[in-house]
Amino acid sequence: MPNTTKYSVETIPGGYPRDRIFNPKSVAVMGVTPTPGTVPYDIFYNILASGYKGVLYPVAPGKRSISAVPAYRYLTDIEDDIDLVVIVFPANVVARALEQCGEKGVKGVIIISAGFREVGPEGEKREEEIKEICAKYDISLVGPNCLGVINTDPKIMLNASFARKMPAEGRIAFLSQSGALCTAVLDYARSRNIGFSKFVSFGNKAGVTEMGLLDYLHQDEQTDVVLLYLEELRDGRALIETARRVTRGDNPKPILAIKSGRTPQGADAASSHTGSLAGEDAICEAVFSEAGIIRTNTIEELFDTAIMLTSQPMPKGDRLAIVTNAGGPGVMATDAAVDVGLTIARFQPETTKKLKASLPAAANMKNPVDVIGDARSDRYEAAVGAVLEDPNVDQALVILTPQSMTDIEQIAHGIVKVRKGTDKPMACSFIGATDVAVGVDILQAAHIPHYIMPEWACGAMADVQRIRRWRELPEEADYQPPQADQKAVAAIINPAPAGYLSEDRALAVLEAYGFPVPAHKLCCDADEAVEFAERNGYPAVLRVVSPQIVHKFDVKGVALDLADADAVRSAYNNMVSHIGEAMPEAEIKGVLVRGMIPGGREVILGAKHDAAFGPTLMFGLGGLFVEIFKDVTFALAPITPAAASRMVRQIKAFKLLEGARGTGQADIAGVEDYLLRLGRLVVDFERIVELDINPLIVGPAGEGSNVADVRIRLSE
Amino acid sequence: MDKSKITERVVKVTCEVLGVTPDMVTPESDFVFDLGAESTQSVQLVAAFDEEFDINMDAEDALEVQTVGDAVEFIEKYVNKK
Repeated sequence: MPNTTKYSVETIPGGYPRDRIFNPKSVAVMGVTPTPGTVPYDIFYNILASGYKGVLYPVAPGKRSISAVPAYRYLTDIEDDIDLVVIVFPANVVARALEQCGEKGVKGVIIISAGFREVGPEGEKREEEIKEICAKYDISLVGPNCLGVINTDPKIMLNASFARKMPAEGRIAFLSQSGALCTAVLDYARSRNIGFSKFVSFGNKAGVTEMGLLDYLHQDEQTDVVLLYLEELRDGRALIETARRVTRGDNPKPILAIKSGRTPQGADAASSHTGSLAGEDAICEAVFSEAGIIRTNTIEELFDTAIMLTSQPMPKGDRLAIVTNAGGPGVMATDAAVDVGLTIARFQPETTKKLKASLPAAANMKNPVDVIGDARSDRYEAAVGAVLEDPNVDQALVILTPQSMTDIEQIAHGIVKVRKGTDKPMACSFIGATDVAVGVDILQAAHIPHYIMPEWACGAMADVQRIRRWRELPEEADYQPPQADQKAVAAIINPAPAGYLSEDRALAVLEAYGFPVPAHKLCCDADEAVEFAERNGYPAVLRVVSPQIVHKFDVKGVALDLADADAVRSAYNNMVSHIGEAMPEAEIKGVLVRGMIPGGREVILGAKHDAAFGPTLMFGLGGLFVEIFKDVTFALAPITPAAASRMVRQIKAFKLLEGARGTGQADIAGVEDYLLRLGRLVVDFERIVELDINPLIVGPAGEGSNVADVRIRLSE
Repeated sequence: MDKSKITERVVKVTCEVLGVTPDMVTPESDFVFDLGAESTQSVQLVAAFDEEFDINMDAEDALEVQTVGDAVEFIEKYVNKK
């Protein structure tokens, strides 16, 4: 049994579910009514009908019995101890019911009722009240506003939900924030013969959260894989911490997730590149990536991967063998496998010899192996057996198209026989629907994962590879965060008003944190600008500094490549005069003078203080078109060197940094170091709500980089 | 009509509609939590009170009433307006 004291409601936000929620010896349902087809009745009836192994009590004021079971007016009228209470009363009396649970010493409660945080301020107040009652009596709470909990363990058989049917027993746990989706998923899973260990709809997460449930399921002997459906991510940092614990280490269990709401929101209001790109979904992606959670786009993909994980051993590598009786699908599968990052295995000569001995001359002995359209069971068995024995093969995909001479049933039996003799994973794709159904049934009964299309099998196999690689990543060593002059930055930021820091101050902030800021000076007249340029060298750059001007190029506030003193003087005067006419309201603090930065590869380093996730970092291909290409990655700050390395390598343009077409490698190590510094800066100074270094011009390896432009926006 | 008379008739109607006995009904009794009213029965109760007292209560407001005592007060206002 899990250690319920280690992750109690007090120590984990939202709480760890007590074991009695899933394994209660006695259950009371409060608010039962005698009317079939209503939630209060169906919850009670489902527990009764699921064959629950404990004792069940209906609490139904004014009723003598419910479905022939004697009813109680109040929970406190029941003499026995109660492990779990399911509350189905309307929201306005739930608090009273919960108080009775506390008085009776009940420690596990599921609130099915809706009418809380999801309905607005009145509901929020109710939800706060039930949280207080749970804290007062140390109650572990699932819900409110949920479908309930199911445990298929034959020793318990609890369907404390209003799902229509008890699912089959299986090794998959499903956690969902949406109750309605749960019922659809159960129905869908039944059509694919998929069973579950636990099924939890956690609704508003007023008590137990996904973090607590993940920790619980990590210890659950009935569960091998956890599927998670989330509508909102309230605490990404806690999810990362929990999921890393679950998905790695001695007892790793994969977590697959769907997070709805991919559409970016609020981007319009953001004025920085990072602000506009770092929508909730992009940050969720980063959270999942850091947590080792595999994200899928659809329920179908979720189960495609889950059945592979629960029925097949973990492959030792990514090399795939394909056996098919049709050339076209074989090629399609090969394309799909390569697209998702699987390697098409190269057979050893011994394997080719075996194939030649058992297949007709017209067959293709190379991968994908084509056993030809008239293949019967003997050919399939010989070919699949031979490729799986090859040390160069880590897994196999068997494809069948139903032709007139294809003995589908026998072939399915043959594959089942071969599967029994190997420790390598396998998947099948009997393409079609009606004709192949008999074979699919045989495969599924033998727990061999089947996919209607070979591409879907490849997708699932690719997810398994991501899980394998995630487990194999070395643990990150402790590291010393980069040195920084916090005092200097505090002296700039603390007295500054909300809004954008002027460019000279923003550059001073970066300098104090060790960023490569080129020599510069804020000059108040043309003579001073010329004087500095003479000292600093040519060609020079002028950049206007004004609190009202954020986009300098738009108002001709930047002059580049100025070759001598005359050019600097003339550019200074023209700039000030033009802006004075075009933007009379702009207060010009001066003009920043610096040298031209040598060319290099342009990247963006950004940060944003997200309301839900806290300080968040962005890295990507920089320049003017960053929002068009959107080639960026995110991470929650602060980051480790390994996370910095991942961020840099995840963008498509990484090849440019590595060196393409004779450009040589860029200073990648430097970029990683600046990401670490940026992470520290935004963690140290919470008032930095948005920060863009765009571009950072990255020089060749070992030659460093230069900050070409920076914007820092402060909160109140 | 005095309050005790209204209370007596409210208790009578409540017992009829919800199938409870008079000893279960007190002014503090919550129609749902203590007397087990289902949502459809709450609507039936409002209609039965209208008929019993020959009044026409605002249904939305009436359905917000939670206890028997509050129902007596609520009905009293309508009865005294007649």
